[in-house]
Amino acid sequence: MTAVQNIVIERTYRATVQEIWDLWTTKDGFESWWGPEGFRVEVHELDARVGGALRYDMIASSPEAIEGMKRIGQPPVVKTHGKFSELKPRERLALTHVIDFFPGVTPYENTMVVELFPTGNSVRMAVTLSPMHDASFSQMQRDGLTSQLTKLDRRFAR
Amino acid sequence: MQLDAFQTLADPTRRRIVESLRKGERQVSEIVREAGIHQSGVSRHLGILHDSGFVTVRPEGQRRLYALRPEPFRELEGWLSQYRNLWEARLDRFGAALEHRRKARRPKK
Repeated sequence: MTAVQNIVIERTYRATVQEIWDLWTTKDGFESWWGPEGFRVEVHELDARVGGALRYDMIASSPEAIEGMKRIGQPPVVKTHGKFSELKPRERLALTHVIDFFPGVTPYENTMVVELFPTGNSVRMAVTLSPMHDASFSQMQRDGLTSQLTKLDRRFAR
Repeated sequence: MQLDAFQTLADPTRRRIVESLRKGERQVSEIVREAGIHQSGVSRHLGILHDSGFVTVRPEGQRRLYALRPEPFRELEGWLSQYRNLWEARLDRFGAALEHRRKARRPKK
């Protein structure tokens, strides 16, 4: 059944595994791409070891995102934390987020897995997501923010 | 609604019941056999699935037949495709960031 399956998204990049790994495991790298469209990220702690902490702020930066957060009664800065629940350098990592910032939603954990497979001069990256446990997006969607972000994302997508 | 739908299906027993019903209309005893769950559990979970709109029930003689309703599944599908789109876009940004860093590192290549 589709609804209970994990989603796997794969991309192949012409880069080294180290370059890709750095985007997940360094402050600069993580800040350069993470976060929904319209948000920027400020990392306060990123300890890329098994069990190491990840703490960052998601900051609404586009006028649309700021407006969207206001509309659902959220502050424009969302403090987010999690940990590297698995880590095998340049091969595999699991990132567990604690989702505790949605009013009325019982806090829960959501884990995503990243795997890197080098082939020749490129690297295939597989990201496994578990949307079943990421119902917070539904909460946002219900309030209209995510649909707006989706539109923005589409516009910026290739 | 979608949040509730996810919570409804978060339970593994209810997922087994849904799997059983995907093969077609069933009465409780058939679900009990196919899903390998005790009768009292099946009844309780069918109640929850019914209340959340996943399942309909109709009487046929002495029997009560349960079936899936397509609507909540369509909503979940729609939600999932949006979810996937968000992540596709996120990985587009990942690729762009990667490219940017590579260029910054090797400006003259």
